[in-house]
Amino acid sequence: MNIILGRMLIGFLDADCFYVSCERARLPHLMGQPVGVLSNQGACVIAKSYELKARGISTGMPIWKARPLCPEAVFVKRDFAWYEILSRRMADEVRQVSPAVEYYSIDELFFDASWLSRTFEAPLSEAAMRLRERIHSRVGVPVSVGVSRSRTLAKLAAKSVKPFGCRVLLDPEETKSFLHDCPVEEIAGIGWRSADKLHARQIRTVGNFAATDRHVICKLLTKKGEALWWELHGEPVLPLDTIRPPHKMVGRGGSLSGPTRDIERLRAWLVRNVERLVEALDRHGVVCETFSLSLRLESGHYIGDGTTLPEATAQFPRLLAAARDIFNRVYRSGDTVTHMHLNTERLSFRHAVQQSLLDRPSAQDIETARLKRLINKRVGRFAVRSGATLPLHDIYADPTNGHDICDIYGKLCF
Amino acid sequence: MCDGVSLLRSEIPQRLIRQFKLESRVVVRGEQAPEEIRFLRREGRPWLPAWHAGQLGIHAWGCRSRQEQGFPPGAWCHREHLEAGYWRHLQPEPVEIPANYVLDRGIWYVVRDGLRGVLLRRPRDVPRVYVLTEAASHYYHVMTRHDRMPVLLHERI
Repeated sequence: MNIILGRMLIGFLDADCFYVSCERARLPHLMGQPVGVLSNQGACVIAKSYELKARGISTGMPIWKARPLCPEAVFVKRDFAWYEILSRRMADEVRQVSPAVEYYSIDELFFDASWLSRTFEAPLSEAAMRLRERIHSRVGVPVSVGVSRSRTLAKLAAKSVKPFGCRVLLDPEETKSFLHDCPVEEIAGIGWRSADKLHARQIRTVGNFAATDRHVICKLLTKKGEALWWELHGEPVLPLDTIRPPHKMVGRGGSLSGPTRDIERLRAWLVRNVERLVEALDRHGVVCETFSLSLRLESGHYIGDGTTLPEATAQFPRLLAAARDIFNRVYRSGDTVTHMHLNTERLSFRHAVQQSLLDRPSAQDIETARLKRLINKRVGRFAVRSGATLPLHDIYADPTNGHDICDIYGKLCF
Repeated sequence: MCDGVSLLRSEIPQRLIRQFKLESRVVVRGEQAPEEIRFLRREGRPWLPAWHAGQLGIHAWGCRSRQEQGFPPGAWCHREHLEAGYWRHLQPEPVEIPANYVLDRGIWYVVRDGLRGVLLRRPRDVPRVYVLTEAASHYYHVMTRHDRMPVLLHERI
């Protein structure tokens, strides 16, 4: 029943206020309430319901600013372990009706919608609505769905009908009129820098963008911009990635749960982040050649450095030695640190790396790492961890610190 | 620590709503939101719902002033003091305070099941319920700017 046979249709599914919807799925009394999801520090609103948004509360707003704007608001602590469960259930539901699904982010999916009509035995727009309702009833999360000829158009279509809407955008005239007034910043891939360049040329709407000569767009925004131009003309040039392409870098870190200059605590954070980093490298099956450490001070300044490792590795003792070496060089006693980030680059798959014949990791290190992985897999994350992390007993006591958004693997976007 | 709790109206038996004239405490936070019944510390006669001996009841919440001799003044009981036996003479008994939302310093936050409390008795006086508190977690401290938090039922935030 596809009206365009022989051409792929792309669907885009976007969960409506996803974190809040996840909380509502397990606590139905939150329906209709102005709900804010707080960061793990309890300081900032990281997601909000439409009711809260209507009161002028934006993402990232500190709770002490949000409270006077909406004294009736109710706040809940984020729980990424639960959000991941519902996110994957949502993807599984889409996989039942589509042969190809891209896990784009925790709350967004692209999929091949070519078979949607046939699966639901209904015209495309009705089939999209049935998919939306199926996810709502089975997962408990409201979603918006867009279907079109390219990723970019499908995403714009879905965004235009939020919340809980569906839009099928196939007719060229309808597409043209839809794009006419849509701000150019709405295109996924147009950030503020690109928007500034386009505005300077009086390209302010998606309609302006699509009507501009392709070569001009290419000159302004390189081939990435040109790809978007084709996509807006209904020519799909950006493929669906059903498997995440290999990472170019892997990092771990974040806030230190409040500013600190306690050296024992800082060293404990360093070890915790190296353990998390090794876990991520293991998960991706890669080793790294370069390592860097960055500390954000309370003053807002960053300090840090990087190093090239003697050989590609993902071994905890070696990465910890590199991290400690940099930390000792850059950290001055008394500096108050708010954030710490560890990053690795020049990654290679383990099986593709020539191992050193002279500087092999000790059998004891290899066995310790194996046992640690095994026990943590069976008993729970961080069940076995370095003793140097003991000063962070409060962090480990809070189970929500054991699962962050970067621990949700397989998605293309952060 | 805890300035009030709110419980869905549907979770309170009608006979308690009638008996304690709780209709006047019914609020809704939004057009589509369910009705709640609020129990605030600042009210003239502060009450708390509490499960005690297998029954849900509405109890007097703490003691407002030193003039009400015999009961400790305040609305909260430090867990550490209770465990050290300071309140032993008042025959403390554990209670569970059902709640969907808890208020502290103007912030309403979601709780899964409710709070832990303690019921104290004196001869010829109505029993009083106090909210059990403990040292605040980092999250709680940042959220409410309080260094004490209620002991939550079946969760820690």
